[in-house]
Amino acid sequence: MTKDIKRKLLAQQQVFSRMNFLFQAAHLMADREQPKLAAYYGKLCRNVGTKAVMHMAPAVKRQLCRRCSLPLIPGRNTELQLEEKSTEIKPKKKRNRRLKKKPNNDKREEAKSPLEPAPEIPKKTERIPVFLECSLCQSRRTFVPTESQRECWLEQPEAVVSEFSLREENGQ
Amino acid sequence: MDHATADLKEFITDLVMPHQRCNVNIISDHITMLDGTKIKKQHTRKRRAHKSATLNRREYAKLGLNTLPTRQMKYEDALPLNSLWKGYIQEHLGLREGDQVPQVHDSRYEEFSKQLVKMDLHGAQLTVIQSKCKTLEGLHGICVMDTKNILKLLGLDHRIRSIPKSECVFGLKVGNMDFTIFGQHLNIRPAERSVKKIKSYVEPFK
Repeated sequence: MTKDIKRKLLAQQQVFSRMNFLFQAAHLMADREQPKLAAYYGKLCRNVGTKAVMHMAPAVKRQLCRRCSLPLIPGRNTELQLEEKSTEIKPKKKRNRRLKKKPNNDKREEAKSPLEPAPEIPKKTERIPVFLECSLCQSRRTFVPTESQRECWLEQPEAVVSEFSLREENGQ
Repeated sequence: MDHATADLKEFITDLVMPHQRCNVNIISDHITMLDGTKIKKQHTRKRRAHKSATLNRREYAKLGLNTLPTRQMKYEDALPLNSLWKGYIQEHLGLREGDQVPQVHDSRYEEFSKQLVKMDLHGAQLTVIQSKCKTLEGLHGICVMDTKNILKLLGLDHRIRSIPKSECVFGLKVGNMDFTIFGQHLNIRPAERSVKKIKSYVEPFK
């Protein structure tokens, strides 16, 4: 480990601990039913990250509402709801078009024709879209069922090159 | 069909040279309407521009996120936040039990004071020691909100009070350490505070 990395990590550690604290505070306030403060802390947590050019882990980041950064805790301030059948096709189409920029040609054709995907789903195991609605800004976090399990790159084991722990250095 | 093209025919005959006017003949099958549906690209771009992922400032204010209710929060609600903050500040400053404030000649003094400026104030128990406004002096509470110019303290009487930073001197207690913070130097947005470069020497009052 070079000295540069060490110094950089130490400088970042302060910001990380601050973001960690703010995230916990946001969750605490969401739990105590103070949605405004919770959203404020969540937003601040995000802003501190952007200012210091630092990234939250994607799984952690997704716990905050996309629009107002309120921590969404199912059962506490939101409920996991099923999407109605009529609106089932639309988000699927959208997702296909936006996310898969370079898919195979046959997949694109599937997205274009709205009639095809609808009968295909019930044939296999039935997948129902589920969403969390934010209680503050009414935006939705949808969990769209897709056949291909596309995972976030950062969450895959190949993405990790090396790990550093700050705890050891503090102890020394 | 004749009725529909009559206007067109009249219009076109006006434009054509006089001795050719008798030859004007409009075949209705050849008419192409120019105002059709928009092409797909325009549609998608418009929709995308309309729907933004994050709230803008106006929407944010409309939801009432910039203002806090004055009397709805209990002091007891903020106590867990305070205990959370205590854990955070120990981690942030690297404190252990029974640590003292480093003296000016100490080697870690400079770093310590730099950390001190960068700390987060949400959840801290603050007391106003000195102020230009005499009524603010002696107020005590847990800080719940921190903006560029104002600290919001939740007092023991379950009221949230806004206190301007620039006019006040705050007292802060961490374990057995006592800090005095000149509010003037806190006049930075809380998100920027952890990135901002700080001068090694600042005057307490200008």
